[in-house]
Amino acid sequence: MNPPGNVRLEGVVKQHGAFTALHGIDLEIQPGEFFALLGPSGSGKTTTLRILAGLEPVNGGRVLLDGVDVTDAQPGERDVAMVFQSYALYPHMTVAENIAFPLKMVRTPAAEIERAVNEAAAKVDIAHLLARRPGQLSGGQQQRCALARAIVRKPRLFLLDEPLSNLDAKLRVETRAELRRLQRSLGVTAVYVTHDQEEAMTMADRMAVFMEGRIIQVGTPKSIYLQPANVAVAAFIGTPPMNLLPAQLRDGTAVVAGASVPLRHEGAEARDVILGVRPGDLCIGQTGIPAIVEFVEDLGDSVIVNLQVGEQRLKARRDPQGPPLAEGQPVGLSFAPAAAHVFDRETGLRL
Amino acid sequence: MGAATSEPVAAMSPASPPVAGRGAPQGRSRRASLVVHERRFALALLAPALLVLLLITTAPLVYLLWNSVHRIDLSMPWLSGFAGLENYARMGSDPRFWNSLWLTFIYTGSTVVLQVLVGLGLALLVLQIPKGQGILRVAAILPIVLAPVVVGLFWRTLVLAPDVGLVDLVTRALGLGSYNWLGDPQLALISVIAIHTWQWTPFAFLVLLATLSTLPPDIYEAARLDRANAWQRFMHITLPLIRPAIVVVMIMRMMTALSAFAAIFAATGGGPGSATEILNLYAYRTAFSELNIGYGSSLAVVLMAITLGISYFLFRLRRAR
Amino acid sequence: MTASAVARARARRIALWLVAGLLLAVWAFPVLWGLLTSFKTERDVLAYPPVWLFEPTLNNYREVLFGSASIVPNLWSSLVVSTLTTALTMLFAVPAAYALARLNYPGKRGSGFYVLATQMLPPVGLIIPFYLVLQKVGLLDSYSGLTTIYLTFSLPFAIWLLVSYFEDIPYEMEEAALLDRAGRLRTLWYVILPQVRGGIAVTTIFVFLNAWNEFLFAVVLGGNNVRPVTVAMFNFISVEQTQWARLAAGAMLAMAPVIVIGLVAQRHIVKGLTVGAVKGGGRR
Repeated sequence: MNPPGNVRLEGVVKQHGAFTALHGIDLEIQPGEFFALLGPSGSGKTTTLRILAGLEPVNGGRVLLDGVDVTDAQPGERDVAMVFQSYALYPHMTVAENIAFPLKMVRTPAAEIERAVNEAAAKVDIAHLLARRPGQLSGGQQQRCALARAIVRKPRLFLLDEPLSNLDAKLRVETRAELRRLQRSLGVTAVYVTHDQEEAMTMADRMAVFMEGRIIQVGTPKSIYLQPANVAVAAFIGTPPMNLLPAQLRDGTAVVAGASVPLRHEGAEARDVILGVRPGDLCIGQTGIPAIVEFVEDLGDSVIVNLQVGEQRLKARRDPQGPPLAEGQPVGLSFAPAAAHVFDRETGLRL
Repeated sequence: MGAATSEPVAAMSPASPPVAGRGAPQGRSRRASLVVHERRFALALLAPALLVLLLITTAPLVYLLWNSVHRIDLSMPWLSGFAGLENYARMGSDPRFWNSLWLTFIYTGSTVVLQVLVGLGLALLVLQIPKGQGILRVAAILPIVLAPVVVGLFWRTLVLAPDVGLVDLVTRALGLGSYNWLGDPQLALISVIAIHTWQWTPFAFLVLLATLSTLPPDIYEAARLDRANAWQRFMHITLPLIRPAIVVVMIMRMMTALSAFAAIFAATGGGPGSATEILNLYAYRTAFSELNIGYGSSLAVVLMAITLGISYFLFRLRRAR
Repeated sequence: MTASAVARARARRIALWLVAGLLLAVWAFPVLWGLLTSFKTERDVLAYPPVWLFEPTLNNYREVLFGSASIVPNLWSSLVVSTLTTALTMLFAVPAAYALARLNYPGKRGSGFYVLATQMLPPVGLIIPFYLVLQKVGLLDSYSGLTTIYLTFSLPFAIWLLVSYFEDIPYEMEEAALLDRAGRLRTLWYVILPQVRGGIAVTTIFVFLNAWNEFLFAVVLGGNNVRPVTVAMFNFISVEQTQWARLAAGAMLAMAPVIVIGLVAQRHIVKGLTVGAVKGGGRR
């Protein structure tokens, strides 16, 4: 009775011999969502995607598509389409034949195939390349061909394995928007694996952050950005990454490198914490945490100031219009209490 | 003995939350359908070939071993019967056997070494004239595609024959006189070695040339800057990098040399006498000319053991790198 | 560059080209010499000093093809046996190689070793049992008998060569095809096989060449009905005399197919040799 395109993973465990790649993954993806699986290499995100595709068997748990247990189903039976990182285009077939292949395999009549192929090719703007072979296409064109092959049979789930990683930087940014638009127009549930947090932040409706075979946090990109669940996630999300300083929490203030900074926290006991502040939230002034300016990077529309606090290195971002800073200049760092993220030093969890 | 162990584990916790990862027992039955499908497909594809191989190689092998422990002499059929290891024991005191073993050793060793040395040397030279490589590759193909028996016959008649052969013409023209290349025992061995080397050096040449062409040029430039001369560059850069290819070439050439038959048979028939009778030929002659199947089988078994032993050793060597 | 350096470089080039020329001569001369001889009369062949300018004759070819000792039936024998061997070999080897290269099943390593090991058997070890068995079954001097033993060297060799070609295809091809609902068999047929077309062609060439050139099996297990051309060469040599020119003509005809294949497909062959060498195994 679920609307088509609902995905659920329940306690999925995956082992490679003695090594556990996934420690029990629980996930629910709503129909029509653009859902990102984000994490560093080896965190289990690609494994999860391949389990959804049916390319890897599971050692425990279930996979449900639209309420149906498909854990044992063959890849072809799941009505799932995938775009591989290497595109996996059939080199001996033309673009048209590549796109037509999934339809041919289910014995769609020829006229219907032709119509569907043209439609799919038009959607990704490669209609003029139908007679070429993959070897004759550029990287971006190959990727669109892989996309067309995936969407041509109107699957209920669309899986993408780092599809932009083989493209050059500029093309990557352009294609991001195109992919999003395509998914929106088709309304199909998409699961997207990436290690690039910027990509996930800009494209996903919701995302899951993977670390070492576990999902640490699930939520909208904004919510994860504003409230990372632990230190690892906090360090991973955001460019430049969040500044993390060891500090001590005492009566609602944090003591960092000898200076006291007020927080919103009302912790009773004193404890060791890690204080996190985003570069954009750091204010450089006269008072506050003592720091020395190391060097300044002028990016044109913003300025990144590299600072040193004791042994730590921090970055702060500010407007280009601020007062100029000299290398070696001692400054004081402060921030709004609401902008601080406090994590327990031992567990790394957010307080 | 306990009742608990008789229940399948899956029945223990049907609806418990899976987060605890109670994976293994359920997983086994899960994986079954995906993997079994692949397994069945694989065996269906492989079984015909494997069965054929079993039938035509392993079964005859067993029969060969069986024959080797029997007395089977078609020229004296009344002697047939089980012989245990008698045939093998006989080899120990058979001078012709030891001769053939020695000849096999020399033949195999010298042809392989010559092929690699000459092939490598030629490849290194030819590497420096890229324009010539095309036509030389074509020329190199010719000896390889010819049937060894034809090569043997050819050398026997048109090259090494007294009076008419090419070599004879050359030696007489140079005033070096005439030699009976195939009739003199020592010269005959040299001749068959030359024939084999002639035919198969192009193989080593082609493979090594291809390997050398894939070596990246920048490491040589770096070596030049580090003031290494040509010999040092060869010893410390080229040789280590092509060593795997050389080993593989040696393995393949050794297999061919151990089973070489047609060329020697055509050129000398194993003679004069037993001068070129490698173990291969000795086994053949014993079984089919002298009709002593039992002894011939045991000789073949020994050859097979040697071949398997050498290849095992060489493959281990290769993997050790 | 200084003048002496230029001169040295040139001298070096000349030396290299001389070596190349020598190589060319040494490797090509038998075919050329045989070709030359095949157009001479017997007397011209035996003449000393050697006759360079002579009156070419087609008599030898005529004799060899249409005369009493015609080798045409032998050419036919060779063709039939080689073709049968090649067809059967490829039929069994292609699926087996795919399974070995790409699929998971119990005993995969063992079966791989087994195929490799069967290549290590010396032919002499096989002809003795084969001769005895074929004799009992009455299949000596028959196409089926000969083809069967030819498979002993061509099947393992073909499997091993094909495995290396299959391994070159990225594994995602199968995954993409499975997701596209192709199923294992159609994946193999529509997606994988078209991509190894080149490898299959090379393997076919090698198998055919090896079968055509085979001698030991042919001479022991063949007879009067089935006598491949490699055995027929001995027709021209007897204790009394050697029919030099006719032998040359016969050899030219016998080797014509393999030479043509060798020249036409030489790039493929060279690639095949190097592939086979890199991955190990192989009779040639």
